[in-house]
Amino acid sequence: MSEQRNTHPKSLPEGSVSTRPHKEGGTSTRPFPPRGLGDGGGDRVVLKVDNLRIHYATPQGDVIAVSDISFNLYEGETLGLVGESGCGKSTTAYGILQLVQPPGYIVHGSIQVDGTEVLNLEEEELRKFRWTGLSLIPQGAMNSLNPTMRVKDQIIDVIESHEGKQKDKDALRERIFELFQNVGLPNRIYNMYPHELSGGMKQRVCIAMGVALHPTVVIADEATSALDVVVQRIVAQTLVKVKDEIGVSLIVIGHDMGLLAQIVDRIAVMYAGKMVEIAPVENVYANPLHPYTQLLIDSIPSIKERKPLKITEGITHDPRNPPSGCIFRLRCPFAWEHCAEVEPPPIYVEDLHEVACHLYDEQFEERRTNAHALIANS
Amino acid sequence: MGGISLNYLARRLLVFALTVWVAATLIFIIPRLAPGDPISAMIARMSQFEGFVENADLIIESWRKRFGLDDPIHVQYLRYLGNTLRLDLGYSMGNFPSTVYELIARRLPWTIGLVGLSTVIFFTVGNLCGALLAWYRTPRWLKVMIPISMTFTSVPPALFSLLLVYIFGFLLPIFPQVGAYGRGMVPSLTPEFFGSVLHHGFLPAMSIVLVTFGFWALGMRGMMVTIEGEDYMILAQAKGLKPFYVLYRYMIRNAILPQMTALAVSIGTLINGSVLVEIMFVYNGMGSLIYEGINTQDFGLIQGTSFILIVTSALAVLIIDLVYPLIDPRISLEGR
Amino acid sequence: MAEKTKDPAVAGGVKKAGLLNRFDNPWLNWKFLTGAGIIGLIFFMIFLGNQFWDTELALAGSSPLNMPPVGFTNWRDQEGVPEHPLGTENSGRDMLALLIVGTPRTIGVGAIAASVGMGIGILLGFLAGFVGGFADDVIRLATDVTITIPSLLVLIVIQSVLPRIDLVTMALLISMFAWATPTRYIRAQVLSMRESGYVQMARLSGVPTRDIMYREIMPNLLPYLAASYIGNMTGAILSAVGLELLGFGPQRIPSLGVSIFWSIEAAALLRNMWWWWGIPTVILAVVFIALLLINLGLDEIANPRLRKAS
Repeated sequence: MSEQRNTHPKSLPEGSVSTRPHKEGGTSTRPFPPRGLGDGGGDRVVLKVDNLRIHYATPQGDVIAVSDISFNLYEGETLGLVGESGCGKSTTAYGILQLVQPPGYIVHGSIQVDGTEVLNLEEEELRKFRWTGLSLIPQGAMNSLNPTMRVKDQIIDVIESHEGKQKDKDALRERIFELFQNVGLPNRIYNMYPHELSGGMKQRVCIAMGVALHPTVVIADEATSALDVVVQRIVAQTLVKVKDEIGVSLIVIGHDMGLLAQIVDRIAVMYAGKMVEIAPVENVYANPLHPYTQLLIDSIPSIKERKPLKITEGITHDPRNPPSGCIFRLRCPFAWEHCAEVEPPPIYVEDLHEVACHLYDEQFEERRTNAHALIANS
Repeated sequence: MGGISLNYLARRLLVFALTVWVAATLIFIIPRLAPGDPISAMIARMSQFEGFVENADLIIESWRKRFGLDDPIHVQYLRYLGNTLRLDLGYSMGNFPSTVYELIARRLPWTIGLVGLSTVIFFTVGNLCGALLAWYRTPRWLKVMIPISMTFTSVPPALFSLLLVYIFGFLLPIFPQVGAYGRGMVPSLTPEFFGSVLHHGFLPAMSIVLVTFGFWALGMRGMMVTIEGEDYMILAQAKGLKPFYVLYRYMIRNAILPQMTALAVSIGTLINGSVLVEIMFVYNGMGSLIYEGINTQDFGLIQGTSFILIVTSALAVLIIDLVYPLIDPRISLEGR
Repeated sequence: MAEKTKDPAVAGGVKKAGLLNRFDNPWLNWKFLTGAGIIGLIFFMIFLGNQFWDTELALAGSSPLNMPPVGFTNWRDQEGVPEHPLGTENSGRDMLALLIVGTPRTIGVGAIAASVGMGIGILLGFLAGFVGGFADDVIRLATDVTITIPSLLVLIVIQSVLPRIDLVTMALLISMFAWATPTRYIRAQVLSMRESGYVQMARLSGVPTRDIMYREIMPNLLPYLAASYIGNMTGAILSAVGLELLGFGPQRIPSLGVSIFWSIEAAALLRNMWWWWGIPTVILAVVFIALLLINLGLDEIANPRLRKAS
């Protein structure tokens, strides 16, 4: 049906140490990235997504939500998944979690967590795998807690359905208190109902719940979008702190490039169901390659200068019937005939930096130079 | 947390008190709206029965006194309210010297038993069926069977009872056609009597249950569908909880809340239906008592029985409303 | 590569689209159509009956007594005769004529009571939902109280002191209770629509309240109103039949409930005169089931979520 796409290099060259962008009050001393530091285990791939395709069935034909995307997540890494609304980033997350709701369905692909093929799991195996292999910090924490269950019961139920009935109630309570402490929640909410908590608290409960079983990979789906800016930042920092303490790998989905820059190691940019660029976070900000990524970076508001917003419209093509060749060509300022004829394959520009754009093909070097000159002039 | 909000409690009690007052007032006004002097109209109608109503003059005297027709209307009204609230409902014409209160005291438990038990059955069965209809793991054959069993939904219970009696009391005489217990039996706490009550109560209860549970199944299915779209259901799935646990702790537990509210709203209709079913089965309850009143033109009995049934209905609603905050933790804060 | 992956998917999508399109019109709801079809059929039969059958036979004494339907025998071993295909009852009314006359009367009582109740319900529901404040408090209390009271009991009390009444009076009495449920329902819908984005926008842009009601809220409310009306009609017919079963019905020209009442009084069950009570009962049951189907269909038409689930 479709040939396997060559994806990431299996191993990374020594010394590819990148520095995290400076964090506000940057006291984080965590070693990033763990890979390449000589500890050997750091470049282990914990999540391998290969050629994943997800459609939504509609009366007028299938909408292609996620179109043959592939990427790896390394142990201890935080990967940001960005893109405008409707680009398929949340669908990708739900696809990985096997939570695509009808009329959505996975057309093909492979999702491996620690070598386990998630798509091949039987129902009961999948149930047991969930939350221990992959857990979710949901988008709408406001409504993601069961309104008729106490906070403690919602954490206990996930522990008990995976580890069996807990006889030692005191130990169980201590364990939950510890989770609360990890995410900065007071113990008094133990017996409370969700409607008695603030939005930020609910989000923290979701984080505590998400890491309760020390899963291999945690996916945070726009976990901070519904919160106000101050709380957003605190919750995001909590997320990173917990992730480091517990030692899980994290995928953060969001559209706030500014916030993501501070918490992720690598960023994957999606456009209309395709992954157009994936790179260490500082590369993306300092040297965005894909024309779409450039647009995105350009649209981050700056306090220092006023600039016109470059992104004026969303995805323009019919998602049921995407254009031939490059998915972005209809909005791309540099598109030429070749873009309509051939779909751009992923190109390795430098270590860990991958982009799906013909401009970076060796044979179109001239065009690339022109394009970059154009950007420099504008 | 803890405790029902004062606002909620006050409102429920107000509705209860208002209902009782409106019922009492309606029953006071209605006979006075009828053309002519209510008492003389009653006496005129009663005189048709003079031959077989014993102590007719005594009854007339008691009614005259009770209504005190020579007093101004507001004095009559206040005295009437006072009497009614003390459950002094006067004498029954047909059963003099029994008071209406005495007759009702004997009949009310039967009605509460029949309606209460039927309600428990149709509410449980209906909600369970509705939940199973919406649940993705329900076997296909069950999803076909449940709607078929709901065919008679919305047929009036009284009419359905005719069909049931004809089939199971007449063509295949498995169940008795009339009565609440075996003829000649004396109510007692023996197993025989108890068995007889169940045997006699089966068809009346089924007349109510079989035409009613479908409503609850449909309502529950609708609620389950709504809840399936809630964010917490996706998280429950992601958490890898056991499917049956998700069904009852996440879905049914939340879907049942509006069903409880709906139950409170439907109590009135339920009593309407059960009055007629009792009449069809000559069941030993309040419905039959009203029918006796209609047949003997015993207005005191009709009015007293109606009043007590309305109060019972309001009380049932009040109880449901007071139980509701126990199952919905949000109500205590919101104080609707 | 991309083309290859896309083709089968798109092809499958097109096929699926054709299939879905046919069922996508919400009004092509099988429940709604079946229910409406049954009611339509009943009225068509009544129409035919009025053309081709002598409705005078519904009067007492017009026919021989206690005749069984054609093909059956009664307890006196009389055979059914084609002059009275559905038999007769014990005062000599022809059952077929009785159905032709009685069915529209029963449905008519429901329609009148439901219309009056609905009219009041729309008025009060909008008043409570839109004006709010004190008016809302009073209307809510009144609806709560009215819904709690079992209407049949009050109607019995009224009927027991009134002289015989005609069907229209009965319908008006029933409508005294038929306004509460629609009021409650409409109030809730108006409140939720009032909070919705498009109505908020209209308010912000200074559209007068009356225009918001008629142009923004009413059209969106229509399927709900229709469902509510049908539900109300079911309730009203239920009350009317209830009163008739107690003997408080029109006597000379009977309706379905009245003839069931007489059959019970005459112990038709024990005499195995099933046609007397059975045929009206089945007709009424069919009417109720049809109304329920229409109601469920309208619910699904108004609420896409339910539609998806069925």
